Amino acid sequence: MNNQNLVRGLFLGAIALSFGLGALRYPIGDFAHAGAGLFPLMVSGLLLLIAVITVVRSFLIAPVPLGFSLKNIALILVALCSFAVISKLVNMVAGIAVMVFIASLAGTAYSWKRNLKIAAGLIAVAFAFQKLLGLNLPLI
Amino acid sequence: MDVLHNLMFGFSHALTLQNLLFCAIGCTVGTLVGLLPGLGPLATISLLLPLTYSIPTGGALIMLAGIYYGAQYGDSVSAITMKIPHASSIVACIDGYQMTLKGKTGLALFTAGVSSFIGGTVAIVVLSFLAPSLGEVAFLFGPADYCALMLVGFVCVSFVTTGSLLNGLAMCLIGVLLGQIGTDVNSGLPRFTFDLPFLAEGVGLVSVALGCFGIAEITKNLDAREERSPFNGKIKLMPTWAEFKRIIPSALRGSAVGSFLGILPGGGPVIAQFAAYALDKKVSKYRHEIGSGAIEGVAGQAAADEAAARTSFIPLMSIGIPENAVMALMMAAFVIKGIQPGPNMIAGHPDLFWGLVASMWVGNCFLLLLNVPLVRYWLSVFKIPYNVLFPAILFFCCIGTYSVNNNLDDIFVTAAFGFAGYLFMRLGMDAAPLMLGFILGPMLEENFRRAMLLSRGSFGTFLSRPISGSLLGLIAVFVVWQLLSFFLKSRNAPLAAGTPSTLHP
Repeated sequence: MNNQNLVRGLFLGAIALSFGLGALRYPIGDFAHAGAGLFPLMVSGLLLLIAVITVVRSFLIAPVPLGFSLKNIALILVALCSFAVISKLVNMVAGIAVMVFIASLAGTAYSWKRNLKIAAGLIAVAFAFQKLLGLNLPLI
Repeated sequence: MDVLHNLMFGFSHALTLQNLLFCAIGCTVGTLVGLLPGLGPLATISLLLPLTYSIPTGGALIMLAGIYYGAQYGDSVSAITMKIPHASSIVACIDGYQMTLKGKTGLALFTAGVSSFIGGTVAIVVLSFLAPSLGEVAFLFGPADYCALMLVGFVCVSFVTTGSLLNGLAMCLIGVLLGQIGTDVNSGLPRFTFDLPFLAEGVGLVSVALGCFGIAEITKNLDAREERSPFNGKIKLMPTWAEFKRIIPSALRGSAVGSFLGILPGGGPVIAQFAAYALDKKVSKYRHEIGSGAIEGVAGQAAADEAAARTSFIPLMSIGIPENAVMALMMAAFVIKGIQPGPNMIAGHPDLFWGLVASMWVGNCFLLLLNVPLVRYWLSVFKIPYNVLFPAILFFCCIGTYSVNNNLDDIFVTAAFGFAGYLFMRLGMDAAPLMLGFILGPMLEENFRRAMLLSRGSFGTFLSRPISGSLLGLIAVFVVWQLLSFFLKSRNAPLAAGTPSTLHP
């Protein structure tokens, strides 16, 4: 499975099938009077065709190895989600601080002093946005 | 004379204190974004979209346009000094970086700045003459023709940005499918919403753009783990007269190439740079020096880059079809402000159109000032370590997503698209066509359904109408050519393709 082209083809196929099968649940109609499902069905059909071509093609050309490192993307996503959750439960100032501390785990060097400075700076920017640009941020 | 009169009218709008300020902000932010890794013009424009709700329409558009063409300037600075392009200045890395190695950084930066200025100026002349007359042509377009034109756009963008028609088209189609999420305008039926209330109005544009470009880009830079070495050399900006004379012809050639390629669907800065560079290599008096740090190698492509960035506004504003992903976002900005770009826009909102055109020239002057005499100060931006930068970019992504609807749930959608964007990147799929498909998708469906309704369900209408027929013919020729070249290549090199797989089972 360590072949970028093959995985891409399968991935495209999965997207095409999920949208295409979903579209079947909506009225299709005919071409003159298209229902809600017709257009997505056509587009996902085309995408499925491309997926099949990609899979077939992946056996014909040299494989490209697949490089994945889940650690950084996971940390970034956790940082984003915890920003949203903490901002909801406590307030956005806490959310910003938590986000900075989690996200910087993905960096090359970790220093809580630097994180404090970054968080303080960003909170100041957030207050400036709220006061000067009139953004409706639930900071406190 | 009509055009001159209109331009004067435009300048009377662009030169108000407020619009001057927006133009300056746009150019400064654009330059900054071009210099910094992790936020291209696409992500930045989508970030700032929600901030423009409270700004008057003219000012908002002037600012967003300034970000787009300002980023091209900043990008070439980073390409010349460190060989790191973020958005599009790939060609500037070749000769520009060679000049840095020779200790001529100042000259390269001066050349890039001045040539960009020339390119921008030429493009504005083209824009102000061509856009109104092209708008007349757009009145001949029926729904079938619009469909065909959008498909041509998809094919061209796919090929130009990814180099592989198959991958690019797949991304376009995924974008179109994502655009289907939400309520169907014709029947009022919710599609692909999984009964989630926040999906009823569709997936947020800002979430898709920030996820696929902002977050994926941050993670890519983090995965690479390379520390950048900031540029510390001395800079001598002013060229000698002999050097200056070499800039002009090459910059003019680049401007012409860039202006032309910027108008074509799928065109834009990247392809224009390559074309201008190739042209200079063929016809320049100093062609033997190009590739090893020649002035012409920087001047031509910088002018083309800037010219194409301006003329790519022409299809958007005269026909109403954006030709690349950034223009698609600009279209979204127009629509948010309640203006439908298209043949009626120039007549209906002359102050917006001519104000924007005039502001581009004002922006040009700002950028010349920012990037030639003040370039030293920008170089200190490179000294910010990435460990400080990326939490800040993440913060802007959060605030940007939240401010669209003042809804924290949207951040989860952005996170989901961040993951999708990362997958796309690791699978070697470029997200720019996705953005174009996502924004054009609803328009494509609307026009397709209208065309089919008018023709009573017969596909013949796409072939019998002269405009759509010839556009679809172009696509067919292109696809056949791609297929042929693939088969010829795989027949010529079956052994080369087979060996690596047998070595690594």
